[in-house]
Amino acid sequence: MTTKQFLTGLQRIVGEENVVFHPDDLLVFEYDGSVDRGLPQAVVFPASTDEVSRVIALAHRAGVPVVGRGTGTGLSGGAITPPGGIQVAFPRMNHILEVDTENRIAFVEPGVINLDLDTHVRKMGLRYAPDPSSQRACSLGGNIAENAGGPHCLAYGTTTNHVLGMEVVLEDGSVINLGSLARETVGYDLRGVFTGSEGTFGIATRIAVRLLPVPESVRTFLGIFPDVESACTAVSAVIEHGIVPAALEMIDALTIQAVQNVSDAGYPDDAGAVLLIELEGLQDEVDEIGGEVEAALWETGATQVRTAEAADEREQLWVGRKGALGALGSIAPNYFLVDGVVPRTKLAQVLGQVAEVSRKYNIPIANVFHAGDGNLHPCLLFDERQPGAIQKIVEAGTEVLQVCVDAGGTLTGEHGVGLEKKEQMPLVFSDDDMAAMLLVRQAFAPDNSLNPGKIFPDGKSHTPRAHPFAPGMTV
Amino acid sequence: MESSLGDSLVRLLGANSVLPVVDGNVDGRTPQVVVRPRDRVQISEFLSWASSEKVSVLPRGGGTRMGLGNVPRSADVVLDLSRLDRVVDYQPADMTATVEAGVTLASLQERLAPGGEFVPLESALPGRSTVGGTLSVGAGGPLAQAYGLPREWLIGISVLSPLGVATKAGGKVVKNVTGYDLNKLYTGSLGTLGVIVEASFKLLPIDPESGALLVSFPSLLDSVLAGRKLVRSPAGPLGYHGMTFGVFRRLQDSIQAASQGLGLGDTDAALSLAFYSGRAKATGRRMGEAAALLLSEGATAVQRVEGPAAQGLLRWIGDVPSEISPRSVLVMRLSVQPQSAARASVECGEVTLSGGKPDQIADPGFGAIRLFWPTPTDVPSAGGFVPGVRAAGLAQQQPILDAINRTQQVAKKYGGSAVVEHCPLHVKGQIDVWGDAPDSMAVMRRLKDKFDPGGMLNPGRFLGGI
Repeated sequence: MTTKQFLTGLQRIVGEENVVFHPDDLLVFEYDGSVDRGLPQAVVFPASTDEVSRVIALAHRAGVPVVGRGTGTGLSGGAITPPGGIQVAFPRMNHILEVDTENRIAFVEPGVINLDLDTHVRKMGLRYAPDPSSQRACSLGGNIAENAGGPHCLAYGTTTNHVLGMEVVLEDGSVINLGSLARETVGYDLRGVFTGSEGTFGIATRIAVRLLPVPESVRTFLGIFPDVESACTAVSAVIEHGIVPAALEMIDALTIQAVQNVSDAGYPDDAGAVLLIELEGLQDEVDEIGGEVEAALWETGATQVRTAEAADEREQLWVGRKGALGALGSIAPNYFLVDGVVPRTKLAQVLGQVAEVSRKYNIPIANVFHAGDGNLHPCLLFDERQPGAIQKIVEAGTEVLQVCVDAGGTLTGEHGVGLEKKEQMPLVFSDDDMAAMLLVRQAFAPDNSLNPGKIFPDGKSHTPRAHPFAPGMTV
Repeated sequence: MESSLGDSLVRLLGANSVLPVVDGNVDGRTPQVVVRPRDRVQISEFLSWASSEKVSVLPRGGGTRMGLGNVPRSADVVLDLSRLDRVVDYQPADMTATVEAGVTLASLQERLAPGGEFVPLESALPGRSTVGGTLSVGAGGPLAQAYGLPREWLIGISVLSPLGVATKAGGKVVKNVTGYDLNKLYTGSLGTLGVIVEASFKLLPIDPESGALLVSFPSLLDSVLAGRKLVRSPAGPLGYHGMTFGVFRRLQDSIQAASQGLGLGDTDAALSLAFYSGRAKATGRRMGEAAALLLSEGATAVQRVEGPAAQGLLRWIGDVPSEISPRSVLVMRLSVQPQSAARASVECGEVTLSGGKPDQIADPGFGAIRLFWPTPTDVPSAGGFVPGVRAAGLAQQQPILDAINRTQQVAKKYGGSAVVEHCPLHVKGQIDVWGDAPDSMAVMRRLKDKFDPGGMLNPGRFLGGI
């Protein structure tokens, strides 16, 4: 099959207007939210499972690798196309197909935006709990590929805890169903292992997710602390009270400075850390537990504590946290975000070690993170125009990951391994561990033609490029 | 053959790790040897030997669910994992724990309680059921509506491959997308892909207050319909179970005392249990609102029990299936869409065997229904300790097959599946207890072929004869 025949074949399946292959048009698909890039030979916009199936089957016959693309907000290079590959993207498959309020299930196409689903079902008193901070831009299909998290996964779990069933297309174009609408399934939990497989097993074309009722009451607490250490003590104190908040988030001094540079979030100049805690439940629970949380914040050295229950007032408390990454642009033109996770009790120690890395490489590092589940997001700030900057950043980032792993943690909590961290996988997993994982890929995709070259080390270096401060690129 | 296998294993592992087969009968197949290795190194040596000798291996935790699954194609050696009984690491402030597979659920919870925490794994007979066994079965328990399945709590796993190679996935942190999530694959795989030797869990704090409601209804349908309303209300419990007379008449002692005012003499009547825990005030409010809601939905009486009595009820509802099963000719567990639980319960209730309707425990919050068709006489059955005489059962074969088939049709109609948990051996040999193969069966077979190319682990027991 010649390239021309292949492209014509794609056009026949989805229509001429739904295949992009002119280099100028492809540029926007060259990158995602990461520092990598790769130009696809074409991008295809199918409208149905049948079209996805036929596109993938054609590519399989032609020996062309296929990358499923959500909206490109991933920060690990998961959506970067290998040489000669095509992308399948889902702007046309963006429908909420059905909301079954009785069983609390939503049926969606992979291109549905996370926040659009949540907004839609809230009108029915329901919610979709996983809320990656990019939820205004990221899609459910991408969420499944990466097993996306978010601030509220502390209490509610990540995407994998909310996906019931999926229709997926395998690399040969065959269509199978994983999971079921009932909570227990028979056979291997293929839905579970598919979630978070970074697009290497198949492409989900129809997704059934579990919805939760909107809680009766929500209260947000914002505590200002003199330093990160005391804020970490506050986190431990809350947990020791037997409290699992819906969210528990922190930003450090450098991030606070960046936030204040952009707009006044009301943080004092000398604030060393801001801790955000959210409680949900019955009013009685929120009242009782809220009292304990507030006391714990004061006891551990908070200099200010603010609380809010009304939605717009809570939004005000969240504004600094949600705008944090964008605000980092006021300090340096680029950032490189590390997604390491550590046991919660190691937070303060690891943040100290991250500060040492910062001094050693002379790179400012801002910390914005999910303190409740130990998911750090150290942001290494730099200017890509300086010679050697990217190389230095990648080295420092690897050192930060090593610190996380040494503390009993791991490489990535919610962004995926992708291209970015594949060479670091041996820090966590042995060859035998990875060989077992690859057996699963061989069972789903024997020819490894879906998103090849991701997750597992192969010694092939990727092509880092600086991170643009594009909207939606948040954590 | 028998002695030579035993002799080889004594030479390999030492006499202390090789046991005589006492109660090792698995669905009528008697293994030649039970090995009980002292540690992971020995298990690895054993597996390496077993794979080279092409010996089939049936891993066993507490042995409480050895009757689950199809009749094994062969059963040479039972691999008893009960000596892997260490809690490896427990950090209360991290709310995580790492334990060996042979630790029982009860001893694990005892170990976590001083830290004010528990692991939301549920299994019948927690004093015998092990962590590894519970993961391998992968099923939900009485509070599955709130806590889901074991898959939700497992964050890391160590597994020995059929060749004895040590592998791990996940880790000790509560949020992790590093590499494929093999935790999900091993959970619920019934030991067909590898031998689980260690697992890490995320934990939850123990709530200060707990309680339960005992509620009587004129019929099971009333109980399930009211339960459906309750679980969708702000007063929703952690778990709700409606049950028929044949189940609740087994309530004993203190629990019976608590239920005396309920007027449950009628055999058509149903009893419901609703479980709560949390902070004192909110729990009190939930239980009060729940009682009012259930009474307005047709309950004839409601009684409230607190603390230890409620804990006792929870243990009882968890254990009672294993008490009723040996006295039943057929036991099935349905998982359906929750909203369909009432209809599925009614339709399954019409599936009679020897004229008898099944007893039921229905969980309209999680969408699970257990059905117990009582034994008219002492029919020999799989999973029990005595194989017994088979002649009495043979006559019943077709009606039992029909009942299984009809129940599976009901489950399918409501978006789910029905697993045969217990039936006479001669029936079991003719069916797939897991039901029909899904359209993903080819991928499942390839997984088994990749992980266990020699087919030595639990051969034939899983879906589709895997």
